[in-house]
Amino acid sequence: MPLIEVIEVTKKYRKGDESITPLDAVSLEIEQGEFISLMGSSGTGKSTLLNMIASIDRPDSGRIIIDGTEITSLSRTRLAKWRAENLGYIFQTHNLVPVLTAYENIELPLLLLPISASERKRRIEVALRAVDLLDRADHYPRQLSGGQEQRVGIARAIVSHPKVVVADEPTGDLDPVTSRQILDLLKRLNEQLNVTLLMVTHDADAALVADKQFRLDHGHLVQTGRTEVPVQSREIHKQHRD
Amino acid sequence: MLKFLPYTFKTLWRHRSRTLLTVSGSAVALFVFCFVAAIQEGMDDLQKRQAAKGSLITFQANKFCPATSHLPQDYDQDIARIRGVKDVIPIQVFTNNCRASLDVVVFYGVPPDKLQAARDFELVSGSWPEFENHQDAAIVGKAVAARRDIHVGQKFSIGDLSVNVAGIFESDDPAEENYIYSHLDFLQRSKGTNLVGTVTQIEVLLNEGVDQIEMCKQIDEQFRGGPVETDTRPKGVFQAKALGGLTQLISFAQYLGYACVGLVLALVATTTLMSVEDRIREHAVLQTLGFTSGRVFRLVMTESILLSIAGGAIGIGSAMIVLALSSLSVGAEAVTIAFTPSLRLAFEGMIVACVTGILAGVAPAWHAAHTEVVPALRHA
Repeated sequence: MPLIEVIEVTKKYRKGDESITPLDAVSLEIEQGEFISLMGSSGTGKSTLLNMIASIDRPDSGRIIIDGTEITSLSRTRLAKWRAENLGYIFQTHNLVPVLTAYENIELPLLLLPISASERKRRIEVALRAVDLLDRADHYPRQLSGGQEQRVGIARAIVSHPKVVVADEPTGDLDPVTSRQILDLLKRLNEQLNVTLLMVTHDADAALVADKQFRLDHGHLVQTGRTEVPVQSREIHKQHRD
Repeated sequence: MLKFLPYTFKTLWRHRSRTLLTVSGSAVALFVFCFVAAIQEGMDDLQKRQAAKGSLITFQANKFCPATSHLPQDYDQDIARIRGVKDVIPIQVFTNNCRASLDVVVFYGVPPDKLQAARDFELVSGSWPEFENHQDAAIVGKAVAARRDIHVGQKFSIGDLSVNVAGIFESDDPAEENYIYSHLDFLQRSKGTNLVGTVTQIEVLLNEGVDQIEMCKQIDEQFRGGPVETDTRPKGVFQAKALGGLTQLISFAQYLGYACVGLVLALVATTTLMSVEDRIREHAVLQTLGFTSGRVFRLVMTESILLSIAGGAIGIGSAMIVLALSSLSVGAEAVTIAFTPSLRLAFEGMIVACVTGILAGVAPAWHAAHTEVVPALRHA
């Protein structure tokens, strides 16, 4: 059974008099431990799909089931609790809290979980070591480079041992060398921690780091690679029902 | 929620200029609120005490300023004979200022043998025999002594009047600590021989259960048609009448106190709202990490309450210290109201600060907690 099931998800919005459908009955299945990349030009709805899987946006129709929980039917409060326990989010612009140190930023999601202070400390140190920033624990975001900030963001996303980690253009704000380091780090975490990773990117080279690549085109999802394979959403939906 | 306190403190410290300005503004407003409340408290305390004591004041009819009231001193014996009267104290009053003043000095000339029985004083320095055995001696209330820097053994003069300070007293009644007690004979003679045989007022102490209003009527009836007619009232009513317009002014000043609370409310609400507006994206990030709307609401409320409480603690604390050290009082026509700093007042002030913080935080906290996450994450 796939860890993430996106079933005929549709999202529409209006822009002036025009009705736009960035996601038109999109379906997708992601297995536990897979690293998926999602590409598409601006406005094609890739971040919208990522945000819906991250449960911070809702589809107009369709369902999203993650590890057996239909997140599209949960209330706002239950969704927040679900995110705290199951989701890590890596932002393009890092979005670290500027008044907190790297250590405290990584600690934030752990404060929401029923774990002891010593366990928190242990997990933060493991996360810091994983992103190779143990010596920067007491630094504030303004004292870190862009790449280091993103590594703190990654540590914050994995520290609570989430089932799913989503990354929205994680290399979008970084130079090529740092981008490569971050992509290597994500790949390493995916392999070593077996974390399921969904990454949205503009960069075709970055997308190749993932196990599978998808592209959103005119509201439809297409699996890319050597040969592009349209994802038959209705078939997946039928399989799910069966 | 305590786990998030460091985050809240750091957030407030991040905009320290804004935080310090807000805390300072709240502190000033709550300082004024406490000052105003302290006068009101002093007036309420004065009236409550006098109502509880059940004593009356007989004054010359149709006279208002103590300097113009001259009752024959032997009226005290006539009043003492009325059934229900426990004791009478003839009092000569001298004050440096009949009008409303913040530094009024009031002398009460009283027979020394009656003073200890009629008042609940305790000498903090000096001695009773020193007072009783010297006609020009006086005992001085602790508040007026502090205000005027008066010490035992010192000669204290005001206008033509000079007394030797034989003792400093404290009393449960803060207003009493603003008076100076001297010998009746001395005060009558020091103002010229024409005052001998007359007193400004007579304080009438009643037995328990005696109807004060009936007794007032009975006393005034007794002297109706006599050489000097009297006007007798319960002491609390007499003092309220003497304070006259000052009472209204103090009541009006209460609104100034409420305005200060409104000011704190507006100030803290503005700062908290600005802080929330600055951090729309940060709150969206927190919600993405798994913070519930309720938790974000509580975080913002904590900021608002901390601002208000910090301002309150500084303002109320300063007010209490200034009030305690300055021994301020306001008086008119020889009746004084002490500015009464009390723990109850400080506690009430902190409750006001806390409630203000809660009210000021609700709208910004609601705004932060119910922001749509995705648009907020795109917020520059």
